[in-house]
Amino acid sequence: MNAEQLQAMTDDQLRTKVRAWLAAHWHNQCSTPASSWDTPAPEYCAWLKEVLDAGWAVPSWPAAWFGLGLSTDQSKIVSEEFRKVKAPGSGQDRSHLAANTLLTFGTDSLKRELIPKLLCAEMKTCLLYSEPGAGSDLAAVRTRADRNGDQWVVNGQKVWTSGATTADYGLLVARTDWDKPKHSGITFFFCPMKQKGIEIRPIHQITGESHFNEVFIDNAVIPAENQLGPLNGGWKVLQTALAYERLVMAEGAADRRSGVATTKDLITLAREYGRLEDPLIRQEIANAMAYRRLNDLNMVRAKEDMVQGGSSPLMSLGKLAMSRILHTEARVKTLILGAQSLLDGDEFPDAQDTNFRTFNSYMNSIGGGTDQIQRNIIGERVLGLPKEIELDRDIPFRESKSG
Amino acid sequence: MAMTTLAADERAALRDAVNRLLTAKSTEADVRRTMATPQGYDQALWQGLAEMGVTGLIIDPEFGGSGAGPVELEEVMEEAGAALLCSPLFASSVMAASLLDTLGDGAAQARWLPGIADGSLIATVCLTGDQGLWTPDAVAVTATGNTLDGVANYVLHGQNAGLLLVVANTAEGQGVFAVDAKAAGVTVASHKTLDATLRLARIEFKGAAAERIGGRGWEAVDEALDVARVALAGEQAGAAGFLFDMTVNYIRNRYQFGRAIGGFQAIKHMAADLLVEKESCISAARHAARAMAAGADTAGADISLAAFACADSFAKIAFDSIQMHGGIAYTAEYPAHLYLRRARATAFLLGNSNYYRDRYLTLLGA
Repeated sequence: MNAEQLQAMTDDQLRTKVRAWLAAHWHNQCSTPASSWDTPAPEYCAWLKEVLDAGWAVPSWPAAWFGLGLSTDQSKIVSEEFRKVKAPGSGQDRSHLAANTLLTFGTDSLKRELIPKLLCAEMKTCLLYSEPGAGSDLAAVRTRADRNGDQWVVNGQKVWTSGATTADYGLLVARTDWDKPKHSGITFFFCPMKQKGIEIRPIHQITGESHFNEVFIDNAVIPAENQLGPLNGGWKVLQTALAYERLVMAEGAADRRSGVATTKDLITLAREYGRLEDPLIRQEIANAMAYRRLNDLNMVRAKEDMVQGGSSPLMSLGKLAMSRILHTEARVKTLILGAQSLLDGDEFPDAQDTNFRTFNSYMNSIGGGTDQIQRNIIGERVLGLPKEIELDRDIPFRESKSG
Repeated sequence: MAMTTLAADERAALRDAVNRLLTAKSTEADVRRTMATPQGYDQALWQGLAEMGVTGLIIDPEFGGSGAGPVELEEVMEEAGAALLCSPLFASSVMAASLLDTLGDGAAQARWLPGIADGSLIATVCLTGDQGLWTPDAVAVTATGNTLDGVANYVLHGQNAGLLLVVANTAEGQGVFAVDAKAAGVTVASHKTLDATLRLARIEFKGAAAERIGGRGWEAVDEALDVARVALAGEQAGAAGFLFDMTVNYIRNRYQFGRAIGGFQAIKHMAADLLVEKESCISAARHAARAMAAGADTAGADISLAAFACADSFAKIAFDSIQMHGGIAYTAEYPAHLYLRRARATAFLLGNSNYYRDRYLTLLGA
């Protein structure tokens, strides 16, 4: 199909075109893996390859780079049509963090080699950002990368890495200049994970799960070509990636969970436990439901704002609002269950679910930037309040106190 | 009320015109001057609103109104709330006009709506008794034939109204009756109010002559209350937004310890939380208006949500904004307390948040 023809189409023409393509190619030949960390079935990868070859995987990317040069709105139309028939693989121009980062900052040969594998789920990535001494203050990373010929040699420790055991590459931030101030001495790399310098240990979470890992890096090697963005320019690359992560969390992705039976809404739970007539419980349920509904309405407004052009300050509120929603819902469920919330195990699925949520809510209010950091961001970037004072902002990093 | 929505550009023009009028004629100084008068509203400004079509905003063009729907009403009320407008707009042009509309009595509409639309007649609704709940149980006036006895309290602009629309208990549930405010057997007592920008009255009826309007009862009252709830939510959203912006502006420019106080996390984090409140308040009010205009099945629940969410958000912003300002906002000269008073008053004007939370669940089928 000719990209220019598609670009010039009306929305309806484009819709028709996508529908026709799907009708000819999509026969429910695969299902989407339950978790992006699972090894995908061959037929799933084969389908993604078809989608990629047709340009539908990343429609808003340039035609020279796997896309069709469509506008963002056109790309959304393509995604909608895919969603309608439950066909996976489209919309990765918005959803695939690693591929997008690579497209923007990678060298041509790296893009040519890796992006198709990423978009076909043949290759997985993980995030090597946080460290024991660099959580909220991510610019304080101490993992070091030292240049040795046409390679980088990396040493240090990363934490909170999901999918480290199955990942082929890690998106890594490492310090490359210790004499520059902390934001100015970091470089971003695409780090091969399957090598002997990388050791992975699971973290046991308060939920009882182990989604995250510690990654110990001992003389791991990265080809020089796998540097993304300029030397010591990694902070800017990271900001692009982090903004995306917050967006995903705002839309409730942190609410996803595993291993526990299907959850019940507050009204159903209260009805089952005979608490729906309790006026105090009703007040609590109404408040909790209102928080969620109001956030949904705010997100609808945010999207309307964005359709009319530009970004919306509302978008940055979603993650903070989601923390209140999740913590409140868990608390109200606990109130409904009463003493049964003291119990656990498969015999008591409601208690199990509720208690899981009580702990899992912190995934949203700490992960991807704590609520407190999020309030700083809203205060500074949305409301224009003065930035926090950083005592080590302008001094050589080697003189900075952190940890 | 017409459930139509004006075209986007017409709506924007209307809102802009109201904004310009109120920016010029409902300044803080105007509000303070007007709230100190016995009447509690400015006749010239009222006339200006009438000429702009605002007093007849939701009244059918057949009766001299603008024929606008809930979406326009909500937007205009945002402007009124931001400016702390002192006027019988809510009492007469929203509550009374929508009640006459839902009662569906053509003769009564033809008789009174044109006067309400052009601002020459101020009408108000007498609903709750001393209990102060806007529910059928709280009605404390009884109709015997066409004669009323009992008490209506918290009557908005009762002291300024020419026409009282009185909800009264009859042998078959509630009915709505028209009473001339000057009629024999009607005693109007003005209240001193927490929010001096509002006028509230307690009205006693002793054998007052009345006329039944239409045949409908509480259902019509509740439908009219929905319009009022949307309007009040809009007013709260507008006021909350204005006060929030004022507060952020203050903490950007107030310096202590060599820094703008908005740079301190203790203040910055309050502001971030209040931004969530402000935006939620606006979203809830606008969504309720749209749901009503669209006749959505969820409209009842959406309106209940707006009723408590907007009241609570406005109150939180109003309370916290005084704290964030510090000493300056403890002075009567500073306008923050005027907004806190409005927030407190509107939070109880058509019921209260606990009532609407419960009603929200009920309307969601729980």
